[in-house]
Amino acid sequence: MVVGFALVAAWELVTAAGVVAFRRPIHNALALVGNMLGLAVLFLMLNAQFLFAAQVIVYAGAVMVLFVFIIALMNPVSDITLGPARGGEWIYGIVFGVIFAALLGVLLVNQGLTGRSGPFTPEVINAVGNVQSVGTALYTKFLFPVEVTSVLLLIAAVGAVYLAVRRIR
Amino acid sequence: MPVPAYTFLLLSGALFTMGAIGFLVRRNPLVVFMCIELMLNAVNLAFAAISRYLNSLDGVVFAFLVITVAAAEVVVGIAIIVQVYRAGRQMDVDGLDLMKE
Repeated sequence: MVVGFALVAAWELVTAAGVVAFRRPIHNALALVGNMLGLAVLFLMLNAQFLFAAQVIVYAGAVMVLFVFIIALMNPVSDITLGPARGGEWIYGIVFGVIFAALLGVLLVNQGLTGRSGPFTPEVINAVGNVQSVGTALYTKFLFPVEVTSVLLLIAAVGAVYLAVRRIR
Repeated sequence: MPVPAYTFLLLSGALFTMGAIGFLVRRNPLVVFMCIELMLNAVNLAFAAISRYLNSLDGVVFAFLVITVAAAEVVVGIAIIVQVYRAGRQMDVDGLDLMKE
């Protein structure tokens, strides 16, 4: 388990660096696919089988197919031909990243995981079934957020159709 | 518990930081979007880890909602990017400053 986690964590960090650093958008997209699949494996390790399936279907499936499709359609140039570089942007970015990561680390070490423990131990979840327990929570305790999200999806669909149909002058 | 919770949270923080760096540094709007996805994924990992180690399902449910919102966001964002591309503008987030005028 620990060895597996270390392997997947290293894979996650490498592919995330690929998403940030590759020069060609198709390489970024493929690195992001790898990153999302690795994340799905981490969800399995965390006993979240439903999230695993949703991650693979929605993210690695739908969202990334959309990205790759758009890249194939537009054939966007790499950053090299985007015009004059400002220079120094990576230095500022990495300085920001170090400070941000240090803040996150300090917060994590000082705060710890202090929430109240709930009733859903892995044994309870696995006795009912992962999808069943998540579905029950979705449609009882979290009914209102689910409905709001469905309205959001509707608005997104309407907006996408509007943007696709409208002609730009 | 073989893997302690804070390792998952540290990994999540590292992924989020890398996504934030990419969001600030990169200039291709598609890659900027991918970095946003990276950050959302990192938050999902934190949700799932906290949910697992506090024996709760709330984090899993909210990670699912985050996935939904991310899908909606990608649809609209890519539609806008395609419109900008069809308008013949340069694909550079620094060059897209029409709203300033």
